[in-house]
Amino acid sequence: MTATSQHGFHPDAESLSAFSERALEGRERREVLAHLAVCSRCRKVVALAREAADAGDVNAVAPPRKTIAPNAWWKQWRLVWVPTAIVAAFAVASISIYIEQTDRHGPNIKIAEQNPAPSATRPPATSPTEQAKVEPPAAAAPAPPPAHPAKHAHSSAPEPRPAPAPVAAQMPSESEVPEPAASAPGVMDRHEVMREAHPMSHAEEQQSPPQEAMGIHGSAYSQPASGAWEAKQKQAEEHRQAEVETSRMRSFKAKAATTGEHGTDQSAPQPPPQAVTAGAAPQLETQAAAPPEPLPMLGFKHMSNVSGPATPIQLPSGLTSVSIASRGHFLLAVDKAGALFLSEDRGVTWERVTTQWTGRAVEVHRQVAANDAMQTAPATQNGPMGNPSANAGLAPSPAVFFELSNDKNQTWVSTDGRTWTPK
Amino acid sequence: MAPTESAASAAETGIPNGTGAPDCVPNCSLDRALAAELWQGCDATRWGLTRDEFEQILIDAGTAQNFGLAEAPEVKPATPKQQAAFFRGVRVADLALARACARGNERAWEHFIAVYRQPLIRAAIAITGRETLGRDLADQLYAELYGLNERDGQRRCPLLSYRGRGSLMGWLRTTLAQRHVDHYRRTRREEPIEDFDAPAPDPPPQTPARELSLLEQAIEQALSDREAEERYLLAAYYLDGQTLLEIGRVFGIHEATVSRRLHRAADQIRKQILKNLQRNGMSRQQAEEAMGADARDIEVNLKKLLQNSQSEAFQEQAAS
Repeated sequence: MTATSQHGFHPDAESLSAFSERALEGRERREVLAHLAVCSRCRKVVALAREAADAGDVNAVAPPRKTIAPNAWWKQWRLVWVPTAIVAAFAVASISIYIEQTDRHGPNIKIAEQNPAPSATRPPATSPTEQAKVEPPAAAAPAPPPAHPAKHAHSSAPEPRPAPAPVAAQMPSESEVPEPAASAPGVMDRHEVMREAHPMSHAEEQQSPPQEAMGIHGSAYSQPASGAWEAKQKQAEEHRQAEVETSRMRSFKAKAATTGEHGTDQSAPQPPPQAVTAGAAPQLETQAAAPPEPLPMLGFKHMSNVSGPATPIQLPSGLTSVSIASRGHFLLAVDKAGALFLSEDRGVTWERVTTQWTGRAVEVHRQVAANDAMQTAPATQNGPMGNPSANAGLAPSPAVFFELSNDKNQTWVSTDGRTWTPK
Repeated sequence: MAPTESAASAAETGIPNGTGAPDCVPNCSLDRALAAELWQGCDATRWGLTRDEFEQILIDAGTAQNFGLAEAPEVKPATPKQQAAFFRGVRVADLALARACARGNERAWEHFIAVYRQPLIRAAIAITGRETLGRDLADQLYAELYGLNERDGQRRCPLLSYRGRGSLMGWLRTTLAQRHVDHYRRTRREEPIEDFDAPAPDPPPQTPARELSLLEQAIEQALSDREAEERYLLAAYYLDGQTLLEIGRVFGIHEATVSRRLHRAADQIRKQILKNLQRNGMSRQQAEEAMGADARDIEVNLKKLLQNSQSEAFQEQAAS
């Protein structure tokens, strides 16, 4: 060891400092440590030097910490982000639920959108003027209501296509009826929602052609079986128009009550499907542009109280249907061979109805009794007709019945779809 | 204050005249590449040190410590690799600054004041525990460093004893602590006698004198057999009254580790004392009974014993 010493034997400041800083190794460290073990003076020197070093380190490090802390402005707002994030998450969840509910109710409206589309099998009595109203050019698409420009702009965005209704399957294909393709399906959905929130005025209703209002009914799409078809159709149209008016009034009252409570909340209970489809028909016919797609049988769940022409619906006989009528969960379909099939679960399972008529059945449709149309309408609001679930039992109703026509233009009637009697 | 540098230490540094003039052995030389590398890392031009002066400082410091080698330079001069290994363990920048200040370089002094003046005062205040005493201590050391003290007509600068083993600031703190402890010990001896409260006479011992004598021998032997680090821990804790934290800072270990080592050392010393007593002719029962003797009956003054003890290394050094 080369350490110099003070007072004869003590290690010098160099050695003690190096020991305190742990810079000594091996023999030098052992020698200094051995001296420190027996020398209280040098132990005190080392302890004081160490204490001074620690105090100097604290003084040297402390100031930068003070200068950094006040500049960290975002740290002061750290707690504010927590409630902000919670509110944002709640808002996003609310919007998601709102959109989901809107899409969930969309299919009911979709039925009304697609049914009124004009058919190539429309009766020849339809005038060219009505044809023009029914099939407007793409450029003549109706403008959005001026009172809701933002809503219309939002609705023009592409949206997921809702599950199509089975009635849409009954509609003529795109090749049969060229439709303007300017409007997207979502647009129609939004318009229907708006129409529900703000029912069409009476003047607009008057301008709507009766065929458009009745467009979803089977007579508008059924095959003209004979010359007496027009007379029967005219009578049926009168009945249906009365029914539509009644249903629309009922819908308007229900919506007005709902709007008064929830504004334009689309999650409110839907009006009876019949009213929806009828009320939506005129405008939809001028806007229907969505190309029909192959629809699954489960789509029948959205259909109620409609009848129409035969569309490619596969029946248990292996043939496709030529005419369909429905009420609630019940469906009646006539295939190309003239066989009648009944489904009580919206088309999931089919049961063949025993032939109780002569000739070959060519058409089936739902009919409303003329004398009971206005009288039974209020009653059906809460009755079997007003509630699709209540129709599951197909309870006899004096106002509603099915009519079946054969190839000889003979008619049979039935209230339950199973028992048919000549008219 | 008396000069702190002895003639022997000055001879070891290789600067006998105290002016910084080199007294290098003829065959010593510094590797040029190593000197260039150290010169660039030192940035000694800030305090006006020339390249030649810098190299001379390195040669002086290296030869004074023989570049860390055990053999004398006349027998086997250090190779460039050994020189590089030596200087990598030395604070070259601090060493150059200290030597430049010792040579009387004004720019070096300005730099020294700018860098170390305030830390020196803070360290002195921390050591003394009082600001006024601390400032006085710092000013006194500063005067010493500047070379106001003379010996045999030569200005003596304590910075010449700095060899760069530790940091220059650490050296300054340790030097301050030495000054403070020496001053405290000297002034304590000058306390007036009337303040001295004579202890009451000890009661007659209850343990037989022979057993007490054997116990004293066993204790001294047990303590002398312990490792230096254990003795340091025991002395610092039980004699100096240092805290576990203060002891831990010296060794760079946690205070809990210090506590465990203290307990282990005490247990081992107790066992060793029992063994020593049995070795001296006592039975185990007698030895345990002797261990239960009143400590006031034991003539062993551990503090006095340890303070008067000197380690072999420094005893040899003093003899040489």
